[in-house]
Amino acid sequence: MTTADLEQLEHELPPGEPVDKKIAGKSPTRIAFERLRKDKVAVISSAVVLLLILMGLFAPLICSLWGIYPDNSDPASPRPSEVLSFDTFPAIGPPYYPFTWEHPLGLAPRTGYDNLARLLYGIRTSLSVAAAATILSTVIGVSIGLVAGFARGWLDRLISFVIDLFLSFPFLLGALALAPIIISRFSTNLEALSKAQVIALVSVLVVFGWMALARLIRGQVLSLREREFVQAAQVMGVPTRRILFKELLPNLVAPIVVATSLTLPAYVAAEAGLSYLGIGLTGVPSLGQTINDAVNSYAEYPLYLWAPVVTVMVLVLALNLLGDSIRDAFDPKTRR
Amino acid sequence: MTTQSEAVPTTVSAAPTEQPLLEVTNLRKYFPVKSSGLVRRTIAQVQAVDGVSFQVPAGTSLGLVGESGCGKSTTGRLITRLLDPTSGSMKFEGHEIGNLSPKQMLPYRKEIQMIFQDPYSSLNPRHTVGTIVGTPLRVHKVVPEKQVLNRVRELLEVVGLNPEHYNRYPSEFSGGQRQRIGIARALALQPKLLVADEPVSALDVSIQAQVVNLLTDLQKEFGVAFLFIAHDLAVVRHFCPEVAVMYLGKIVEIADRETLYNRPHHPYTQALLSAVPDVKQAAVGGRRERIRLEGDVPSPVNPPSGCRFRTRCWMAKDICAKQEPPLLQIGPKHKVACHFAGEYGAMPTSPITLNVLGVDQEGTPVAGATPSAEDLNEPGFADTWTDVETLKGNSAPMATSLPSDSRPASEVGSEDRGTRS
Repeated sequence: MTTADLEQLEHELPPGEPVDKKIAGKSPTRIAFERLRKDKVAVISSAVVLLLILMGLFAPLICSLWGIYPDNSDPASPRPSEVLSFDTFPAIGPPYYPFTWEHPLGLAPRTGYDNLARLLYGIRTSLSVAAAATILSTVIGVSIGLVAGFARGWLDRLISFVIDLFLSFPFLLGALALAPIIISRFSTNLEALSKAQVIALVSVLVVFGWMALARLIRGQVLSLREREFVQAAQVMGVPTRRILFKELLPNLVAPIVVATSLTLPAYVAAEAGLSYLGIGLTGVPSLGQTINDAVNSYAEYPLYLWAPVVTVMVLVLALNLLGDSIRDAFDPKTRR
Repeated sequence: MTTQSEAVPTTVSAAPTEQPLLEVTNLRKYFPVKSSGLVRRTIAQVQAVDGVSFQVPAGTSLGLVGESGCGKSTTGRLITRLLDPTSGSMKFEGHEIGNLSPKQMLPYRKEIQMIFQDPYSSLNPRHTVGTIVGTPLRVHKVVPEKQVLNRVRELLEVVGLNPEHYNRYPSEFSGGQRQRIGIARALALQPKLLVADEPVSALDVSIQAQVVNLLTDLQKEFGVAFLFIAHDLAVVRHFCPEVAVMYLGKIVEIADRETLYNRPHHPYTQALLSAVPDVKQAAVGGRRERIRLEGDVPSPVNPPSGCRFRTRCWMAKDICAKQEPPLLQIGPKHKVACHFAGEYGAMPTSPITLNVLGVDQEGTPVAGATPSAEDLNEPGFADTWTDVETLKGNSAPMATSLPSDSRPASEVGSEDRGTRS
């Protein structure tokens, strides 16, 4: 730009008006979101995730519009005898009959439940269990990490020891042992049982999932607490709780968001895995349980298996890619 | 015994009863060095600050200079109670603040604020300037919530920033502007004492002058007292009427600006000042004589016995290893901790501290001699002082055994005190 251009620019501005009025400060979070919007992978994967979330969220609505039912508790649902042939495989739709819009993914053998309905409700279960576990473990991990990082001496050492203890405990063994114990306490009441299963699953995921984040946050706090703005807050007499949550926590948004976005798909996968092993949910439709059922009839009926497997894969992949993009957006220094 | 009434400056008329804003006596901070392993025993102590005494009068500045690691920043952090002192007393307006709990300390937080060295790490990058400057106002509830923003704008204007920039983030400002934000935050509570921990050393030289001038203006306007911690002697000379020099956790010399910069009596101060480039010298041409100190600063974990500077001092004698030199007042506003304190090139050949310590030339205690009862760790300046010039003459007979100096004895006195009449 030449001097003449600059002069012209200056003339165009109304006199007396402050030039920098339009320049508004952007918070680091806003900058990260703008970066995220420009990332194609992030946009596509978040669209996929959003679609799956909507599918899970509106599962009852979609099912009633389609006229499909996840089980036969509804009086309007087709009786197994109506839709199944003598060899327990469905009498309409795959695998032996052509595609029908009535049941796009076919029917389950033996029970005659609609596969699409089971899938939608399965997504709903998976996402809600994973979301609940993620939120809980994030809250626990962040609080414990903040306290451990900020407290010096015995408290820090105690918390670090507990973190190490939980990390060294085998997850699968713990889950296998813990779930039946929790469930057995409620086994007398069937209604309470399905609730107990959800609580048991979420707590197993949380109990073995908070340590990684707590460690991460502790490390971050250890380095942040030596920064002078924390000391400035102390000199001003800011109470410790306020320092932790008002001064330190905003600086931990990036690691928390990144860790959370990568924990969510891990929990989805873990939920499906635990349900497959039979220590997850039995009362409500879940993806892992469907996979478990479908393995037996894979030779005759591959679609029955592939539908939930592909759904879990797409969900986990989309969440993981989104998590990667979020990490890049919030912390551009680690970009490859 | 002599009375040096003619040496007393006639201008001194400050009422000695006036209470200093901050009085630090014998302040110590030892950091424990822990062994590794399951049982972490304390195996050593880093003597970061070891018996420091000084006063900061209201509305003025005391400069604290010294090289890296001499404990000047630790002293600042002790006064703001970021660290807890190991021992010693700190009196703010006559109230002891050294042993207060965080809750008890809260009212004093308003009065003592701090400006930090690094403007890039002293502002929370996730908060807007309005939040940063408004935080002290909100925490201490000095103004109602609705007026916080107005007050923030006023403060930004005071430090020379555009008051409309309150909703910007620190990353949008330059280093000098950030330091101004830090100053605005420190001023928000209208403190009486500001501890400035190297406030300009992270800034560009041209910006340094702006910030120092801003601090000078603020001091004139609001009457804030400063404890100005720096390693830049020129900045301290510009800003502080009184300067203390620290070496390895101790104050070695403390004096008013003119005395310290023109007639330094401690060899370390002389060495420091000789390292400052001199523009006049460059104009005259030729090389100035510089004092080059040998070796490194000893470890504060295991400081040298006696005088801590003796390992690098070109005048060190036996007594320096045996006896720690007290911070002896040798002028109306001049204290120095050296056995051989004197102007460069005219140092006494015999220790000036013998009478005070009650020891002989070699540093061994003399039987029957009583060390001066007066507490030499008293902060501030007394009305009477030891006169070096008289001592030089008086101690000469003791020094006759030394071949270098055999000045005839004029008068042998056991007590050589200058007196302000």
